[in-house]
Amino acid sequence: MAAARRVKRVAATQEGFLNLSPALDGSEPYKRRKKVNKNKKKNWLKYSDIQDVEEFLDDVRLQERATGGLVAEKADDSLFFLDTGDKQKDVKPDTGKTRPLKADLILRPDSHIPAPKDVLSHQQPNAKKLRRISQKAEQLAAKGRLPRKQRLLQKRLGAESKKEEKPGHSCPPQKGFYDLWGDTGAPTEEPWYLEQTKKKPVKRPARLNVKPSALPAIEVVSAGASYNPDFESHQALLLQAHVVEVKRQKEEQHIDRQLAVPQEDKATEETVFQEVVEGLMEDEEEEEAESAGEEEGDDAGTSALSAAGEKKTEKQRKKEKLEREKEKQRKAQREQTERRQQLFRLRSIKTELQRGAQLTAERQERRRAQKERQKFQPRRLGRLKFEAPDLEVQLSTEISSCLRRLKPEGSVLKDRFKSFQKRNLIEPRERAKFKRKHKLKYVEKRAFKEIT
Amino acid sequence: MGGLQKKKYERGSASNYITRNKARKKLQLSLADFRRLCILKGIYPHEPKHKKKVNKGSTAPRTFYLLKDIRFLLHEPIVRKFREYKVFVRKLRKAYAKAEWTGVQRLKENKPSYKLDHIVKERYPTFIDAIRDVDDTLSMCFLFSTFPRTGKCHVQTIQLCRRLTVEWMNYIIASRSLRKVFLSIKGIYYQAEVLGQPVTWLVPYQFSHNVSAYLSTHNTRAPACLFELKLAALSASLARVISSGQEEEVELDQFPAEGEDAEQLEARQKEQMQLEAQKKVFEGLKFFLNREVPREPLAFVIRCFGGQVSWDKSLCIGGTYDVTDETITHQIVDRPSLDKQYINRYYIQPQWVFDCVNARLLLPVEDYFPGVVLPPHLSPFAEEKDGDYMPPEKLQMLALQRGEMPFKAESEEEEEEEEEEEEEEEEEGSVDEEMDEEEVTEEMNLKQMEQQRAQGKALSVKVTPGKMKMENKMRLEQEEKAEEKRLAIMMMKKKEKYLYDKIMFGKKRKIREANKLAAKRKAHDDNAKVEKKKKKAKKQ
Repeated sequence: MAAARRVKRVAATQEGFLNLSPALDGSEPYKRRKKVNKNKKKNWLKYSDIQDVEEFLDDVRLQERATGGLVAEKADDSLFFLDTGDKQKDVKPDTGKTRPLKADLILRPDSHIPAPKDVLSHQQPNAKKLRRISQKAEQLAAKGRLPRKQRLLQKRLGAESKKEEKPGHSCPPQKGFYDLWGDTGAPTEEPWYLEQTKKKPVKRPARLNVKPSALPAIEVVSAGASYNPDFESHQALLLQAHVVEVKRQKEEQHIDRQLAVPQEDKATEETVFQEVVEGLMEDEEEEEAESAGEEEGDDAGTSALSAAGEKKTEKQRKKEKLEREKEKQRKAQREQTERRQQLFRLRSIKTELQRGAQLTAERQERRRAQKERQKFQPRRLGRLKFEAPDLEVQLSTEISSCLRRLKPEGSVLKDRFKSFQKRNLIEPRERAKFKRKHKLKYVEKRAFKEIT
Repeated sequence: MGGLQKKKYERGSASNYITRNKARKKLQLSLADFRRLCILKGIYPHEPKHKKKVNKGSTAPRTFYLLKDIRFLLHEPIVRKFREYKVFVRKLRKAYAKAEWTGVQRLKENKPSYKLDHIVKERYPTFIDAIRDVDDTLSMCFLFSTFPRTGKCHVQTIQLCRRLTVEWMNYIIASRSLRKVFLSIKGIYYQAEVLGQPVTWLVPYQFSHNVSAYLSTHNTRAPACLFELKLAALSASLARVISSGQEEEVELDQFPAEGEDAEQLEARQKEQMQLEAQKKVFEGLKFFLNREVPREPLAFVIRCFGGQVSWDKSLCIGGTYDVTDETITHQIVDRPSLDKQYINRYYIQPQWVFDCVNARLLLPVEDYFPGVVLPPHLSPFAEEKDGDYMPPEKLQMLALQRGEMPFKAESEEEEEEEEEEEEEEEEEGSVDEEMDEEEVTEEMNLKQMEQQRAQGKALSVKVTPGKMKMENKMRLEQEEKAEEKRLAIMMMKKKEKYLYDKIMFGKKRKIREANKLAAKRKAHDDNAKVEKKKKKAKKQ
């Protein structure tokens, strides 16, 4: 930088150097210089007057920018032309060169100085150091040692590949066959040790091994649901579906009937009129009857009170006691005679007993049968009842003649889900509904408001 | 009196049950985790006998679990893992919210995971136990493997399911254990016999279902994870079984098992022979699948029975030979007409393959040519008892199995008529009155003679040479048997007689119904025939 500046200064001192800026012509007024010690670097910078130099350099830079070099150094041809007085002759003819577009001209940089090269992009910083490092790495490689970075990378890669093996649902193929039921050998640790360290797994109760339903996991559909069924089995399946549909319709109709307003409850002209005049024409008779009723009620109340409050006499009590005893005796007597009589109807008693035993046996049988039946039934396990899925049926017109045109009916996913419910593995569920936590707030926007 | 006051609902059934919410709180798990755990451990809700008592006087419907079951769950080490996972998710969410990417990275590296091996081992102590309960698992895996990879379900899960199902199918092919196939409108039902256990599974048709509605409810994910795992363990074990060559040919023991007579033994042997034959149904045949037929099920079934199969190379990898291969014996086609046909191979519709498998033999191909109206595809899972109605196609199949010559379509009706007659005869037989024609004529003669005598006419006395009466031993024996039966019926107690009559009535009713159905079928067929004729006439 300094060298360049020097060159320029030298150029300025030479004769014939033209200044573009008018300020730098040496005619500035003299100023008294402040006295300072010049044996210090700081003062050199601070107190030496370099304005002329700066201005000069500015001028140089301006020239370079505007004309692409110092004007003084340019050839005369490039600066001047011969004025012959003839305008047409003076203007150089356009030699077929197409002028650039105005837009391109605008975008062209003002300065004539070419953009500086990015020096750093071509240079290597610390080249010496790098060279030394690479040399050392070569030496180490010759000895068989990898650089640290490489070593760390290798380590990490190794760790990753190991991590993939560790967990996971299944065994990776490179591990060979992992047989869950393969090792039947005795446990390595002592049972006592396992028990004490609480490492012994809890025994599974036998009750959990019983399936909650006797239904098979996969219920194969009936022959009528074949993609190309034979006539009878298809008809049988259709009938089955028909029965289900009829039942459903009947239920719907029943509900409709229950909800319908009965004919007698519908308003007629008469009832409407009665409702209108209700309370306008009071019957005096009714009032009378009401008052009479009240009186009667009062009478009954008083009599009851008097009966409750009266005390029994001694005589009465004794009499009642005697009667009670007599009654008791009579009862005992009757029982005894009855028991004696039973001796004579032994046979009928026997038959009675037999009948009773038979009844209980029948009941037991019925219950057992019901229990057996219930093994195949879905139980009530939650809020919702199990609802059997719709039968998958194709009508006679829908049946495809070949496998290519087959249109599958129903969803296997749904079927599986319903099967879980049917076999009591999960409780019947329905999809959770979206519940809004906070109420929505409706705001009328201004823009919208203005329009309406 | 005296003593402590007994409080209600503190003993008995009320203390044996626990509601779902309480159980969940006891285990400190979210509902989803609780459900997952229950499925994994095989603990299911229970319906108490007296709901009001259990519910402490309230009749609100609730889900109950046995308290002992929940106590058992408390010991499960996985519960802690579930909680850890919950915390992990919380931390991860927080790190995301704070945009701490290094923290996210670290957390993800230390994601808690768990193994389910011990649970599988606990639930299925032996390999056979696991096989017995594999139906559900298989169906779910097959189902999941057909899901679209759209992010509704983890793609890894889908891929894992796919891998497991392919492994399973390979096992079935290698062990030749497929027995039945049924194409229903819902999906394809397969049944195989694995280590002596029948295993049934359902495979959906490709691209047939709408997943989103169900999957988003998280309903079926929990079971799926267990199933995958179990199947993984299973497939590994099965692979071991194959690789170690345990599938040796089991020599049929010639000695009858306990409580088995010679007939049963013979039947068993016959069954075994049939099975062996079924395993080799397609051996030596070379199939080629056209691009419009379902490739996977067909390839699976054909390979299960020893056939060679290939398809177009542009369709999928794995096609071993081209259409132009001259050694192809069967080409499976599902379009009405083909441009170029080779003369040395059969062109058949895909149903032939499945019907052959179910019939356990190679059916005649004529009924399955392209463009021909196919015979119905019968369900191999439907088992008819004697006396039940059987469709004529099934009868035909049975006849073929017995080794009778296949009959033409024209003779079908005659056959049917014969069968009907037979059935009628059977009916009569059940009434125990069998009459032969000879006897009838003899009786008629006698009657005539008697009538003549009654009219006072002198009988034309004649001496005719005697005839040797041939005694039919078989017939006598039968008669004797029938007589014995009749006597036995007569000797029955009233109660037993009642039951017997009921059974016989049921049998007769069944036969009657079967006859009715047969008649219906005949009417249907006749109608169809008439229509066909009409059509033909119109065409001409």
